[in-house]
Amino acid sequence: MLELADYTFYFLALVTLVGGIAVITAQNPIYSALWLALTMVSVAGVFVSLDAWFVAGVQLIVYAGAVMVLFVMVIMLFDLRRETNAFSRGMVSGFLKLASAGIFLGLIGGSIYNSAETVFAPPPAELEKTADATKALANTLFTKYIFSFEVIGVLLLVIAIGAVTLSRVQGGTHAKHD
Amino acid sequence: MGVDAFEIVINVVKLLVIFLMMIQAVPILVWVERRGSAFIQNRFGPNRVGPLGLLQLLADAVKFLFKEEFLPRKAVRFLYYAAPVMALVPGALALAAIPLGPPIEVSAFELFGQRWGPYVFKLQGYDIGVGIVFILGVSSLGAYGLLMAGWGSASKYSLLGALRASAQMISYELALGLSLVGILLVYGTFNFYEIIAQQQGPLSFSWFGREVVGPWWLPNWGVFYNPVGMILFAASTFAEANRLPFDLPEAEGELVAGFHTEYGGFKMLMFYIGEYGHMIVASSLLAIFYFGGYGIPGLPVEVLEAKIAAGTSLGPTGVSVLTSVVSHLALLVKLGLFLWIFIWVRWTLPRFRYDQLMDLGWKSMLPWALANVVVTAVWLLLANSK
Repeated sequence: MLELADYTFYFLALVTLVGGIAVITAQNPIYSALWLALTMVSVAGVFVSLDAWFVAGVQLIVYAGAVMVLFVMVIMLFDLRRETNAFSRGMVSGFLKLASAGIFLGLIGGSIYNSAETVFAPPPAELEKTADATKALANTLFTKYIFSFEVIGVLLLVIAIGAVTLSRVQGGTHAKHD
Repeated sequence: MGVDAFEIVINVVKLLVIFLMMIQAVPILVWVERRGSAFIQNRFGPNRVGPLGLLQLLADAVKFLFKEEFLPRKAVRFLYYAAPVMALVPGALALAAIPLGPPIEVSAFELFGQRWGPYVFKLQGYDIGVGIVFILGVSSLGAYGLLMAGWGSASKYSLLGALRASAQMISYELALGLSLVGILLVYGTFNFYEIIAQQQGPLSFSWFGREVVGPWWLPNWGVFYNPVGMILFAASTFAEANRLPFDLPEAEGELVAGFHTEYGGFKMLMFYIGEYGHMIVASSLLAIFYFGGYGIPGLPVEVLEAKIAAGTSLGPTGVSVLTSVVSHLALLVKLGLFLWIFIWVRWTLPRFRYDQLMDLGWKSMLPWALANVVVTAVWLLLANSK
């Protein structure tokens, strides 16, 4: 017997999957980005249905609200037709695409295989609600996983510095004109 | 939704009423904006239709409804029509999560030969434990409405407006979120009701192990703990709502009307409702975080309820309803004040240049907000230590 929560989940899962497929089938990069935004919103919905309100809120703020808006903006600014052509033909790029898809599949399969116990275990009977769950999340993040948290922070800083450096080298978007 | 028919009906009615409140506030705000701007600029403003020009709203609504509907020739049909809705929805969703008064306690009663209750109805669309995270998340989706409008109407002015809008929203969202972190550290909770409860009564805090209590008339408001955060939050909400001095997305001197250049009639009205909705949400958040929410200074909710119970001959349900209504009016007074400040600033300050806007967001407000977080954390650590 399906309950309301099941219907919600299947609806959100359907939207996520349709959105995800539409991201890679849409011809215009703008529509791809908008579909991706829809996918992220529905993933936030899945988090809500799991009572993970804080994660859902952060998903909306960071991914749907900031990252995707930035993507859409950048795509609107650039004429991507040449890049699209460069990436949609040729043996080398086809091979690269296949290889990266394979690596990605391997990554997902590997992470599911390695965390099978957590993924397929039945949910804990007493789920902590809302504010307490946020506190528990913070406690785990800043005690048990503090090292990986800091490493990811440094990694993001490196990426940001790298992006700024790349844009300032000769021929970049912010190159210095003498 | 609720355990029985009565609760479900009330909850659905609540959602509708809060949505209609937002829609109905817009014509009044437009009138205040037009009359207010006229007085600030030494003009008369709309004063012909009805007393004080108040019926101008009705005339405008009729005009908006009956305007010719058109689609620019190269527009993307779906995006063009979806954008106004997308601009309206985030504001409405965020407003429904804001508590507009203390919960109403309805004691058990008999109706249609059946026993109902007791119930507790919250004066808000839906209660979400992490309140502020949800509201920030939902209102950050507002940028899509502008982006879709800009791309969908296939016009250079619209596109430029949309690009400016999204860059500005992303820049100021950081300062907006960070400015709230300071006050959240003080309260130690995301829940609006707990935040408002902590601001009742006179100013009181612990200072190196000593309890300091202020005079009874000085309320325990967040603005006294975190004034820098309040200023940063208020300034970044101006940018988020695209109001002057941050209204570069629709700068009429350069971009005609920015992202809604190609919109007319009711579709443009929906953009307006979205913008005013953002203003109402921002004002409510300002009231909740820094000015005691629905609390009346010098008169905590419990004291108010006791006074109403002593002064009237109402039952417990009636007392609870009256307390909520009075508290809600207190919130409305604060909202009105903040909304007037929004309008006042719009007609007082000139518009920023674009590079000034970005400099202010990234090089001034973001560092100040970060410093505010650090200082608040250190202060809390010191003040609460023995």
